[in-house]
Amino acid sequence: MVGWFGALQPVLVGAVLAWAGALKLFGHRAPALARLARRSALARLVGNERAVPAYRAVGSVELGIGAVLVLPPMLVAEAVLATVLCLGLLGYLAYARTVAPESPCGCIGDKPARVRWRGFARAAALTMASGLAILGSSWWGAALASRPLAALAVLAVEASAVVALSAELDSYWLLPLRRQRVRWRHPLAGSGGFEVPVASSVHQLMRSPAYGVTGGWLRSDLLDSWDEGEWRILSYSASCGGRPATAVFAVPRLRYQPADVKAVLVDEADRTVLWQFAPEPAVVGVSPSTTITAKMGL
Amino acid sequence: MTDIDRRRFLNTAVLGGATVVGATALGSVAPEAAFADVQPDLDPSAPDPDFAEGRITGINGSMLLVTGSDKSLHRIYVTSGTSIWKLRPTGADAAQVGDGLYARGVLLDDGTLAADAVWLNIVNLTVLITSIGKDVIHFDHHGDRVVGHVVLGTTAAVYNSTPPVSDLTQLKVGYHAQVIGAWRPDTNEVDLATVYSAA
Repeated sequence: MVGWFGALQPVLVGAVLAWAGALKLFGHRAPALARLARRSALARLVGNERAVPAYRAVGSVELGIGAVLVLPPMLVAEAVLATVLCLGLLGYLAYARTVAPESPCGCIGDKPARVRWRGFARAAALTMASGLAILGSSWWGAALASRPLAALAVLAVEASAVVALSAELDSYWLLPLRRQRVRWRHPLAGSGGFEVPVASSVHQLMRSPAYGVTGGWLRSDLLDSWDEGEWRILSYSASCGGRPATAVFAVPRLRYQPADVKAVLVDEADRTVLWQFAPEPAVVGVSPSTTITAKMGL
Repeated sequence: MTDIDRRRFLNTAVLGGATVVGATALGSVAPEAAFADVQPDLDPSAPDPDFAEGRITGINGSMLLVTGSDKSLHRIYVTSGTSIWKLRPTGADAAQVGDGLYARGVLLDDGTLAADAVWLNIVNLTVLITSIGKDVIHFDHHGDRVVGHVVLGTTAAVYNSTPPVSDLTQLKVGYHAQVIGAWRPDTNEVDLATVYSAA
């Protein structure tokens, strides 16, 4: 049983190694590969200028070992070699975790995935699988032929585990799953309420003619805000001609009409209104479109 | 003047019913005059003297003692006219030791910064939305995980640059977003103020 189980493992380990190696060698154009190699923790280990050759070398070794694992005949030496490589990968992850925790490990593909527990779990799983492969009794093709259904089930479970432990592959299966769940029932539905956020009133204020005139006097960010009927009142510290003042704005709360925003400058110490915003009267008469129409002789 | 008193006075002032003392008391109120107040004669090689950033290391009455990220020390004086932002506009008592801080104001002769505006723990992140849960949004921030907490009544969303709304149901997993929020010091968690995203 262990022999049959172990005999299946080379195809899994070999496929993952060959895939990782092939991506390192052929997955990117040269500049992208150089960028990736220099960002990865490998660059810290071997130095920046040797990062690209080292990255390619690791890829070649992975591809080579992966290929001999998958192709017949099955030799115990191949499984031992793969185990050593996987142990080396575990060591590299531990090194990356301690020395360059901010760098992506550069293990599989170009998605930046920091070294976390999933990376360790994947490396540990591959190490275990290649260790089991040493105990394998035959080539994996023979094991597959002897009990095809059971073998396919085992390999499918193992492959799913590898995919689940690969943070680089999340965007292919995990994000679409989550997106679908949110589409069915959005978890934040009903959490917002119908209140107009203060940020919305500030947004409207900043697009108002009143703010265009007073903006230069404001010294502070939003000091205070409260609702007064259909208005939301926003107050700011201001300074005008060297004199400290408070700028008070009334913004329509439930409608978007920046032209209606009112503004005053107030001296709070002696409770006087220093200045009041007078909106420009709307220009009545010739609108630009009429002028253009007239010029074009229409 | 109590808070309610003050608000009532400001209401009357801005919504009508108050008499204007007259603009002459202020001199010219043209915008050009207002901007003429600002004197941008800064030395481009020196740090802006009217700005400070760092972590609050001590609070002494209305004085915030701040250690900058370059280890410089700042004393920041907070007045009733200073705006304090900590997830939302709030009061000076919201400041706590350990908070991150940005402050803008006027450097006084004794070396204290009289603050016009203080922002506590404010962060501005460009992120990828990786998961949405109940009252929480998970982000990927250039490979780092960031947990964003939805705060009822405060968190707003801006879709396609339209005015902010409190409806967050247009946020989608896998979309890029920009997040303004209040960092919870020494964690990877933020309370969300505004999330900018495409809808």
